[in-house]
Amino acid sequence: MLFVTAAALALSACTGGAPSGEAENVPQETAAQQEIRYMIGQPEDPADLKLIKEDIKKFESENTGITVKLDVVPSENVRTVLQTQLRSGEGPDVFGYDTGPGFAGALARAGLVYDLTKAYSDNNWPIYDFAKERVTFDGKIVGVPNQIEEVGIFYNKDIFTKLGLAQPQNLGDLKAAAQKIKDSGVTPMVVSDKDGWQGGHLLSIVLSSDVGSDGMDALLNGEKSWDSPEVVSSLAVWQDFQKSGLLNPSPTAVTYDSGNAMFYSGKAAMNPTGSWLALDVERNAKFEVGFIPFPAPDGPGIFSGGLGSGIFISATTKKADAAIKFIGYGLTEEHGRWAVENLQDIPAYPVNTDGIEATPLFKQILDDSAKIAEGTGDFGYNIDVLTTDAFNNTMWKGVQAVLTEQKTPEKVAKELQTAYEKSKK
Amino acid sequence: MARHHHAPAVTRRAQTRLGLLLALPALIMTVVFFLFPMGSALYFSVVDFDGIDPTPEFVGFANYTEMFTDPEVWHALSNNVIWIVIGTAAPMVIGLLIAVLIWSVQRGSVIYRLAFFLPFILPGVVIGIVWTWIYDPANGWLNRALGAIGLESLQRGWLGDPSLALYAVLATAIWAYSAFVIVIFLSALRNVDIELVDASRIDGANAGNRLIHIILPQIMPVFLMVLTLTLVGGFSVFDIVFIMTGGGPADASNVLGTYSYTQAFQLSRIGYGTTLALLITVLSVPFAVALNRLQRRMALQETGV
Repeated sequence: MLFVTAAALALSACTGGAPSGEAENVPQETAAQQEIRYMIGQPEDPADLKLIKEDIKKFESENTGITVKLDVVPSENVRTVLQTQLRSGEGPDVFGYDTGPGFAGALARAGLVYDLTKAYSDNNWPIYDFAKERVTFDGKIVGVPNQIEEVGIFYNKDIFTKLGLAQPQNLGDLKAAAQKIKDSGVTPMVVSDKDGWQGGHLLSIVLSSDVGSDGMDALLNGEKSWDSPEVVSSLAVWQDFQKSGLLNPSPTAVTYDSGNAMFYSGKAAMNPTGSWLALDVERNAKFEVGFIPFPAPDGPGIFSGGLGSGIFISATTKKADAAIKFIGYGLTEEHGRWAVENLQDIPAYPVNTDGIEATPLFKQILDDSAKIAEGTGDFGYNIDVLTTDAFNNTMWKGVQAVLTEQKTPEKVAKELQTAYEKSKK
Repeated sequence: MARHHHAPAVTRRAQTRLGLLLALPALIMTVVFFLFPMGSALYFSVVDFDGIDPTPEFVGFANYTEMFTDPEVWHALSNNVIWIVIGTAAPMVIGLLIAVLIWSVQRGSVIYRLAFFLPFILPGVVIGIVWTWIYDPANGWLNRALGAIGLESLQRGWLGDPSLALYAVLATAIWAYSAFVIVIFLSALRNVDIELVDASRIDGANAGNRLIHIILPQIMPVFLMVLTLTLVGGFSVFDIVFIMTGGGPADASNVLGTYSYTQAFQLSRIGYGTTLALLITVLSVPFAVALNRLQRRMALQETGV
């Protein structure tokens, strides 16, 4: 008897008894004093966490009756922890998560996130339309994108000036500059790809500049094949740089933090990564820094732009009103200015940046981001926020394989196309 | 037996109840820690569960078919075999030799014991992180040491080199596991009959002979126990590889454990990941059973039963 019960238990408990979804069915708490749990991934810099905690205190002081319990999870564990908690109906009330189809999209399909469509219209949340589209699944807006990002190359202006190098205007320029930097005894470009995810950015920046936004649209919509010559040549750029000794030795052995440290210490002259690092660059680099797109074969190239993470509410929250209030607090003009000034976050809604004290580096990033939001200017895409897990995994491993010469660019491009086709099914 | 037949029915029922009651703890343990997880794993292996959808599709043996035709499974399995062979032989030999050396040292043996015991009490995660720093290509202690003694040509990106990554992690595991082997062997050596060792010495046996023919047979059951743990650990190895390389670069150091994790939790293919985990179980159980039997037979021989 016991065995039968156990087997039945095993079968019924296997899928964790996922909550049936819609928040309208969840009885709401009416207590005057409510605590909401807010889960985020560990920020890169501890100083940012301190700022976030101060901001939460400010929210609490302005909204008596609501307290926020901050739950910080190591970034690499967010996915597993969140999925497990949401499925068991014990999810955080509010959480930060990636906005792409493989992330928030998957949660939305399973009915695990709260439908914010009504909250948007009730509160007139001013999120840019293009950003809203990214968190809309099956006609429901399920999240609030909180950051615009762009990926390019940070470069040490002091080293460039010392060697008489101008900002590279095309790929040939970049290679020539890198060679000159190498001859001076400095690592031209630090590529840190031990963790794997950096590979998505490496491919995004070269490919975006090569094929432009239209070409990227075509690739992401399936109109252009991932094993086309442009993808192959973009992958080959990294293999070529590696073989020519223009990168640090063993990029796949270097972690993101170690790579950034090489750039901050002046041991490497260029660091291809995203604008989210700008604040850390300013805190750590003792030299002037510029931020440029990865050059195209025949021109200066374009940045890969897009949305970073967003904020979501769990479908089973019993404190939806408090959670919505908390999200709304982060969407005011005043808060936007605070985020720009203190976290160097670029909100996904219009913020008047007049009079904001910003370094030239961040001012440039702000101006570029405004162009993304307005739809003016040409921007490529950061591929991994727009594709599925399976595709991303193939891309991340593929770039590692190209850098270590385990595979040819042609083979990796073919694998990308296969992964894309599988993902579409 | 005969007396039971004559016992009153009430007593028999009481005895049955008592028997069930006494067996209950073991039964509950078996159900909770073996049958339930096993049933759950078998269920997951026949569905296409993405970690979210509460009603996953039944796919029959599709996960098993995929497993046998997936080249990465065979690649990861071959890495497991390398891990089992080197990762078992090296700590057993190193551990035994160091344990015997410490055992025979009279002065300062506490310090030696402590020094060799330390890696054993460090959590695997800490070992993985610390050794990742040691192997760091730019600032790591290993490359710096090689540079300091003029061996720059040997400097490598240890964990990023596809032909070295697995062996670099394995070296760390051997370092850590040797400590465990030393600790266990040291306690086993306390039971070795010193008179036999002394007698063989008088008879002219050298150190090697004494170790193989006098000391080793006396600690054989413990030796086999450690061997079993190491071998089975070789199939299920996960934490240290996951922390140090994540199975990379580009799958170069993938073992079944990391591949199973990637499939289940990074690609949200819980069904396929579970099937791979079942493969680890199926492969390691026969080894565990065979060695356990051997160990029991040795123990019985020793006690003369």
